[in-house]
Amino acid sequence: MNVTSSDILLLAHATFGVLGTVSAVWVFVETLNAQERNARRTRTAAWCVTIFMTAAWIVAGYWYLHFYPAERAIILKGPWPFAHSIFMETKEHLFLMTLILAFYLPVVVREKLHANPAARKMTLCVAMMIVITGLAIEGAGAVIDHGVKVALLRSAAMGAAK
Amino acid sequence: MSSDTVKLSRASAGFGISVAITALFNTVLACVKDAYHPLLVIMNSIAGHNWTTQGLADVILFVGLGLILSRSHAVERIRPDRLIAFLVAAVAVAGVGLFFWYTMF
Repeated sequence: MNVTSSDILLLAHATFGVLGTVSAVWVFVETLNAQERNARRTRTAAWCVTIFMTAAWIVAGYWYLHFYPAERAIILKGPWPFAHSIFMETKEHLFLMTLILAFYLPVVVREKLHANPAARKMTLCVAMMIVITGLAIEGAGAVIDHGVKVALLRSAAMGAAK
Repeated sequence: MSSDTVKLSRASAGFGISVAITALFNTVLACVKDAYHPLLVIMNSIAGHNWTTQGLADVILFVGLGLILSRSHAVERIRPDRLIAFLVAAVAVAGVGLFFWYTMF
């Protein structure tokens, strides 16, 4: 078995992203049932979103800067160059918006959500936008991963044909 | 008597506007740095990579603008429904705008 630091970071950043997205679903559900007694749990969930998304940012950033250039070169030589030029480019910039939304969530859940319909609506919208952008980012990650795969498969097929 | 309120606190409103502006700024900066190479070079030199610089710029803008706006009484006068609509529209336009930019660029 040969698991490199690149592999660990790659899987860790996707895991943190999923945990952040799932935590946003948790915030959404708690907010739908906002009561005085679940206020503390809602705040905990909101902080989970912030912490997981920040961890995803740091880990993904390190991997992107140190390991992605090699994969980008493989993708661009393969049959799916758009996996980088469209999906990676969109993903890396869209994530920054998700991150800012994740930073905002603990601010708005400080309100008394059970007594404040405006704050409740804001929390629901922000949590839902984190979920939607989070899922889009995870989907883009799958396209990028497949971009590498088809490039390597084509390369291997061409090598075998020689 | 109901204790319900329909207003957002100054912090929620101020940082909410800040999120919307930062999302739009993020997309505009992504487009401009691709279209104007000298900016990309400057951003690469600031934090070692343009993406790192952009991320830090977004965070600084969000926190700075949020702190300034949350100290202003003007944000309390904005109707929450309008603020929420502005935030959702800004994030939607910024997100879709990014995808279209990289599809066209």
